[in-house]
Amino acid sequence: MKVILNNSEIIIFKGATISDMVLAYSVRSHKMLISGKLCVYDRFGNLTEIDGPVYEGQMFFLKRKE
Amino acid sequence: MKLKSFLLFVAIFTLFSVNNQSVAQKHRKSTEIIILHTNDMHSRIDNFGKLAYLADSLRKTHKYVFLVSAGDNFTGNPIVDMYPDKGFPMIDLMNKLDFDVTAVGNHEFDMGQELQNKRREQAKFPYVTCTIDVSGAVVKPYEPYVLLKAGKIKIPFLGLLQLGENGLPDSHPSRLEGLKFTNGIEKAKDFISLKDKYGMLVVLSHLGVDDDEILANTYPQLDLIIGGHSHTTMNKPMMVNNVMIVQTGSGLKNIGITTLQVTKGKITDRRYELVPLASITKTDPEVQAMIDKYNSNEEMKRVVGFAETAFSSQEELGYMMTDAITSRLKVDFAFQNGGGIRISELPQGNILLKDIFRLDPFGNQVVTYTMTSDEIKSLISNAYNREKSIDLAPSGMSYTVIVNSEGLCAEVEIKDKTGNILDTGKSYTVGVNSYIAASYKFNHTDPGTTNYNTTAQILLDYLEDAKKVNYAGVKRISEKK
Repeated sequence: MKVILNNSEIIIFKGATISDMVLAYSVRSHKMLISGKLCVYDRFGNLTEIDGPVYEGQMFFLKRKE
Repeated sequence: MKLKSFLLFVAIFTLFSVNNQSVAQKHRKSTEIIILHTNDMHSRIDNFGKLAYLADSLRKTHKYVFLVSAGDNFTGNPIVDMYPDKGFPMIDLMNKLDFDVTAVGNHEFDMGQELQNKRREQAKFPYVTCTIDVSGAVVKPYEPYVLLKAGKIKIPFLGLLQLGENGLPDSHPSRLEGLKFTNGIEKAKDFISLKDKYGMLVVLSHLGVDDDEILANTYPQLDLIIGGHSHTTMNKPMMVNNVMIVQTGSGLKNIGITTLQVTKGKITDRRYELVPLASITKTDPEVQAMIDKYNSNEEMKRVVGFAETAFSSQEELGYMMTDAITSRLKVDFAFQNGGGIRISELPQGNILLKDIFRLDPFGNQVVTYTMTSDEIKSLISNAYNREKSIDLAPSGMSYTVIVNSEGLCAEVEIKDKTGNILDTGKSYTVGVNSYIAASYKFNHTDPGTTNYNTTAQILLDYLEDAKKVNYAGVKRISEKK
């Protein structure tokens, strides 16, 4: 399935989590996500936990923690 | 740091009390109702003592305090999920804290329908959802909603459950046999009349925030959507179509405090605060004792298999992990990456439950693909080239990596279990963990699908079936330079 992270299209398996999505985007970013330096926000601007599910067509943003 | 946390809690509590007093003065003839809410606790029990302290503190100062969950109370902590009576510690703690209701989440099905029935019999609170027809299933019927009473005021809490593209909630399909599901957003229409009858309507939604937005846009009659499923941490509520949407993340890191002011049978004010439980330094000693007891669970010492010979390498352990996948999921091949094998040896003798979680602590799921032999070769080749060394332990095959002068994989020779070269015109089913699926670059036209089983659970099931294992001298991978 396709999801959008920081305006980049990520192709990831069905059933993936936020953590899986960031790992597919960048291993370095994933390490920063796990360490808490980066966080994932949804299209509404809400923080999304790394164990949250992702679905086809969803859009997220990886940013420094607000 | 502890002082800082305590002061933060005092500040939150004081602000909350002062705020309440001012609102109460404003609404002298109104009733104040506090809803403590959580969602997606996923078997995380460590903060229950703090939540108990907070809930009891509020109950001492406020007449009407409800404690509710928007679903997915289970799956995510082996202390709870692997308890001899699977999931019971969660029910025990939720009972102790006097939860009033939970929505049914997709992970409520992970333990199977019979065990869910048992957990529901033990629970002193109802599971609600209006989207499941159980007429052909083992699981017992659900009430679509519950009425929580604050004096003469009755508030309906309606349960809604997420469905995936396949029309099922995200759990293994074998656990959903006989159940029929309807779309929550459409089904909610049948219950909107509750608003007219009771003057207010709250949804315990396990739909996820995207669908909650649609729900709010569809039904402006709703007063409050207490959300779950998407693990969204809302520091402030979302207001959509004048419907308040709230959600508190996952793993019981936070608790939501939503206060309703009810005047003449109508909600006249709604307020929401997100309280990180880390900011609360006090804990209920009785509840903490329960948590400590569960965390020191002897169950982790349970024997789950027997190693006839010692495992002397990660490679041998990797073969066992991948054999579990091919055996349990009936796929042709499986692969395990070296970095995901967290111990390098295991002595001859009993294999304990805790050994499984030392070996595979990540909670990775199994992702399955249909792949051609060329695609499988690209997986092995790219895995090798990451560190210029053998990485993937396989099951169902043996392979040789041919290395070029630059140390990179030039070719991969694969033989199936009978020693035959793979058929280039044939497709094969392949299982890998979700780390490989997400982070390894390889050719695959099939995007892959998870079946919501963790690799650790698969291994546990495999060992409990096999009883004895012996991987001494097994060799399935080699390289030629």
